[in-house]
Amino acid sequence: MTILGTALGIVFCLLRAVSGESGYAQNGDLEDAEPDYSFSCYSQLEVSGSQHLLRCAFEDPDVNSTHLRFEICEGLLDIKCLNFSKLQEIYFIKTNKFLLIGDSKICVKLGQRILTCRKMNIVHIVKPEAPFDIRVIYREEANDFVVTFNTSHLQKKYVKNLIHDVAYHQEKHEDDWMHVNLSSTTLTLLQRKLQPDAMYEIKVRSIPTGYYKGFWSEWSPSFHFRTPEPKGPGKMEPVLLIVSILSFFSVAVMVILACVLWKKRIKPIIWPSLPDHKKTLEQLCKKPKKNLTVSFNPESFLDCQIHKVDGIQARDEVEGFLQDTFPAPLEESENQRFGGSVQGPNWPSKHAVITPKTFRRDAPLRCLAGNGSVCGTPVLPSSRSPDCREGGKNGPHVYQGLLLGPGTTNATLHPPFPFQSEILTLNPAAQGQLLLTPLGSNQEEAYVTMSSFYQNQ
Amino acid sequence: MVHVSFRYIFGIPPLILVLLPVASSDCEFEGKSGEEYQNVIMVSLNDLDRLRENDSNCLNNEPNFFKKHSCDDDKEATFLNTAARKLKQFLRMNIHEEFKTHLQIVSQGTLQLLNCTKKVKEKKQPSLGEVQPTKNLEEKKSSKGQRKQDEMCFLMLLLEKIKTCWNKILSGTKEH
Repeated sequence: MTILGTALGIVFCLLRAVSGESGYAQNGDLEDAEPDYSFSCYSQLEVSGSQHLLRCAFEDPDVNSTHLRFEICEGLLDIKCLNFSKLQEIYFIKTNKFLLIGDSKICVKLGQRILTCRKMNIVHIVKPEAPFDIRVIYREEANDFVVTFNTSHLQKKYVKNLIHDVAYHQEKHEDDWMHVNLSSTTLTLLQRKLQPDAMYEIKVRSIPTGYYKGFWSEWSPSFHFRTPEPKGPGKMEPVLLIVSILSFFSVAVMVILACVLWKKRIKPIIWPSLPDHKKTLEQLCKKPKKNLTVSFNPESFLDCQIHKVDGIQARDEVEGFLQDTFPAPLEESENQRFGGSVQGPNWPSKHAVITPKTFRRDAPLRCLAGNGSVCGTPVLPSSRSPDCREGGKNGPHVYQGLLLGPGTTNATLHPPFPFQSEILTLNPAAQGQLLLTPLGSNQEEAYVTMSSFYQNQ
Repeated sequence: MVHVSFRYIFGIPPLILVLLPVASSDCEFEGKSGEEYQNVIMVSLNDLDRLRENDSNCLNNEPNFFKKHSCDDDKEATFLNTAARKLKQFLRMNIHEEFKTHLQIVSQGTLQLLNCTKKVKEKKQPSLGEVQPTKNLEEKKSSKGQRKQDEMCFLMLLLEKIKTCWNKILSGTKEH
């Protein structure tokens, strides 16, 4: 019995002990649960000169950390362990005694009792410092925005290689963030990828890369900028508008002037008309009057007194002769028929009227010393008419065919007209060539020159 | 004949076992990737050069230490181990804190990357005085300033040798 009782007692105690350790509860009684002492840490290297910072905190905010402390061992320079300092609920340590090679052990202690430990590498829990001084500059000529920012890690020795995350969005779209990753501190945003005339917010954060690993830094302070208004399809710069208007009016004025001055000024210069001999002669010669009869019939010249010219006579005699014989004026048309020859009122028909027939008969006598065949050429056109009495007062005076007597070679010819004062000199070598010489008057010249063509035009 | 066989059976194997540790390396090189050296140890070596930039009045003669210990082929780890331990002796000198911190990083970082065995660690390292035994008499006669100058020259030379040996190891690792 004694042995049996003892054995039952031992079994009962064992049962109690086992049930107590396993947490078994009867009738709904719950024992106190072990608190969660899990924690997380991050490091910041060269945060203050050569000093590094290590911060740890409990993940459960309800943990009573009154008597708890943190300790780090291993991975230190010339020291085995270091204790953390406490600020409210945050545990931190600031030192340059981190080796930065290999793992360290961080433990939570209650007195000397270790509650929990974690092994972590200081260089794998690095949290960079937040970037700052972010700026956005609009470049109108390039139609883009240049984003620049600064970070303190550019001057650090250990954590130098970072990846930056630039985030921007329209302020009216709260959650629509665009992200751009880059390794440098400069970013270019194209204007066409942004909404015109909109307000944008932009910020940046960093994370280490390479040997040093860790977490994203805090966001930088935001920067706000507005995109420019869009340029309308018909909108132009004021200077360009003025220049285009002036150009249009200049072209219009030039077109109007060209139309107005085309016929009189521009066309003669661009397309000068070639001289037409027929027209020129018509302009030079006067229009023949009506009832102008032309005939080679000698009977039509019965009214004209024809005087045979045997030689060059003295002027006085001729003048006297002419006054006696030619009281009546001659027609103007006869002057024109001579091609510029003018017959004065005192023109001796005898001298002037030379029919082809008469000319042929008297050719050897009337020609200058020379060839008879040449002299046979009628000097005066057949345009002679009975109206030869009328003389062209306005036309040029021409000696056409000076009929000389046989004794009058190399002699100067005196014009039979009182108003003709020029002296004609004949070259005997010019066989049968009759010279058209200007008679010299205040009338128009008989010679037709090239310049007269242009003048008549 | 039986005596001869016993000699070979029981004599030679123990001999091999004794000689094997001598021939093999005592250090397990862990930093072969070069990341730890380039991102931590080299930073400290450069800072030490910067801090000692102005002091260049050193003699050209090579101390005896380097005649005994050199970064020969297949002996790089051993040399670095010895050199790193030698650096610890300079921590006792009266030097600037920042200088001392970088010395510690180079020394301790090298030893941690080499991960040498306990046997090598316990080997007695020659003290600064034994490095140049021929100069012991001269050191007594010279002033303290000259002595310090000589030690600093030796230190800079030692750091230069460590840097060269590290580069040799990493370049050899990249080729493989």
